[in-house]
Amino acid sequence: MTLLSLEGVSVSFGGVAAVREVAMRIEAGEIRGLIGPNGAGKTSLINAIAGVVTPQSGSIRFEDREITRLAPERISSLGVGRTFQHVELFRDETVIENVLTGLYRHHVYGLAPAMLGLRRGAEAQARREAAELLRMFELSSFAHARAGDLPFGIQKRVDLARAIAARPKLLLLDEPVSGMSEAEANAAIATARSLAHERGVTLLIVEHNMRVMMRLAERITVMHRGRVLAEGTPAEVSADPAVIDAYLGEVAHA
Amino acid sequence: MLGAAAVLCVAPLALGSYQLYLAQLMMINVIAAAGLNLLTGNCGQISLCHSSFMAIGAYASALVVIRTGLSFLPALAIGTFAAALLGACLGYPARRLSGLYLALVTLGFLQLVQILIEEFPELTGGVRGLSVPKPQVLGYAIRSDFALYYVLLGAAAFAVFLADNLQRSRFGRAFNAVRQSAFAAQALGIPLGRTKLVAFTLAAGFAGLSGGLMAVAVGFMDPTEFGISTSLRQITFIVVGGLGSVAGSVLGAVLLTGLPEFLRGTQEYADLVYAAILLGSLLFMPRGIKGLLDDLWSLRLVRKPATP
Repeated sequence: MTLLSLEGVSVSFGGVAAVREVAMRIEAGEIRGLIGPNGAGKTSLINAIAGVVTPQSGSIRFEDREITRLAPERISSLGVGRTFQHVELFRDETVIENVLTGLYRHHVYGLAPAMLGLRRGAEAQARREAAELLRMFELSSFAHARAGDLPFGIQKRVDLARAIAARPKLLLLDEPVSGMSEAEANAAIATARSLAHERGVTLLIVEHNMRVMMRLAERITVMHRGRVLAEGTPAEVSADPAVIDAYLGEVAHA
Repeated sequence: MLGAAAVLCVAPLALGSYQLYLAQLMMINVIAAAGLNLLTGNCGQISLCHSSFMAIGAYASALVVIRTGLSFLPALAIGTFAAALLGACLGYPARRLSGLYLALVTLGFLQLVQILIEEFPELTGGVRGLSVPKPQVLGYAIRSDFALYYVLLGAAAFAVFLADNLQRSRFGRAFNAVRQSAFAAQALGIPLGRTKLVAFTLAAGFAGLSGGLMAVAVGFMDPTEFGISTSLRQITFIVVGGLGSVAGSVLGAVLLTGLPEFLRGTQEYADLVYAAILLGSLLFMPRGIKGLLDDLWSLRLVRKPATP
């Protein structure tokens, strides 16, 4: 079953085209990589899917539903979650509060019960679920630490745990291992894998670390200058001359 | 907690009439500050017209008593509701604004309310003010300042209870999320506009309740009491007390309302002293008295956790 499909999606910022006529299909349960040199339009594409930027043209469908012009919170509540390249934690809150905030759309109760304190059942459930997520991400010992005080690698994990709390069907991971040590990156990859398999979360991962991508993704879409350059299994993509040219070109110029 | 409650219950017996009046004002300010802290401290939206919602609550509840003869409590409820409703009316367009633009819009609203009060003297008493009759609660006229103090104490306790519950609910979390990262909040399905609208409405409701109580405590309404300096004073309460903390609202409102008592003889310079306190606390205790107390608490009683 196709979970997400993009048709002729173009995004531009003040006349500069960041994404041009991109078409893409992601099947439910898939782990898809999205790679490309800097400036290839990966983050713009993710932002378009999440509703943070509106495409100039084209259509984005999630579970056969048009989401192209929906507000980000609507898209999120349909089941599209995301993490951020430079983590966007609620810095003044504790780790567990961050994860509890991720549960906003679940364990729902109204304003009046909230003010009168008549929501203990829902709150207790939310806290149990949050504690469970912290255990899963090995964050239990940081539960009451202020999120902004934690090292970057741990903040990344909190970001992921918070995104999972919102129970996404499709999770957009924007450079999930950037700024992590090798060991942290390996652990994060293992977590992402098990998430995808155990919780049935479909992953779309942006990463320009080719090595990470080869180990993690089942299929890879390569972007270059706003367009899709190639798509296939990691082996197919890494053997594609156009991809090698785009990537090695970048490395050679860097 | 129980100790503090006991002190609050017994305190008026030991106070002179001026101190008792100050204690009443403290309770009134606690309610307004708790509301403003939800909007500004938690949700991150600046408001310069908090005093206007106090005015709306004050005039609406007083006028309901005067014009319809309804008793105090239902009138107070109507005043609170009217303020909340107008808070929503302002919040609806203002939810798309932030920072300087929001400050200007709320300042405009403040001016508008002032002008409306002054332009309809046959209703509001205009610049000459309006006398407010003594309140009747459940058939009993509240004549003594003691009795009124307990009414206000009860109201303040109730307001703190509501704000505290709210803050520790999904709505409180949504407020904090919107303030700290609108981006991340939306990605978690938190609607920015609606969350801000809720915050505006609630803050106005708290201010309305506070204003309605102020009307009966002071017994006379002077429209200049609801000007910009009262709004700024409310902001000072929450900044000095601790932004985003209910305890901070209480501390700030109680300590700074009590300040004139400690600063006798500096009456003309009261605003200057307030300004100095605001600046000083911004520079030296950015998380307010509540933050300072937390730090002292953790220094003394809890060892700092080893950094991982």
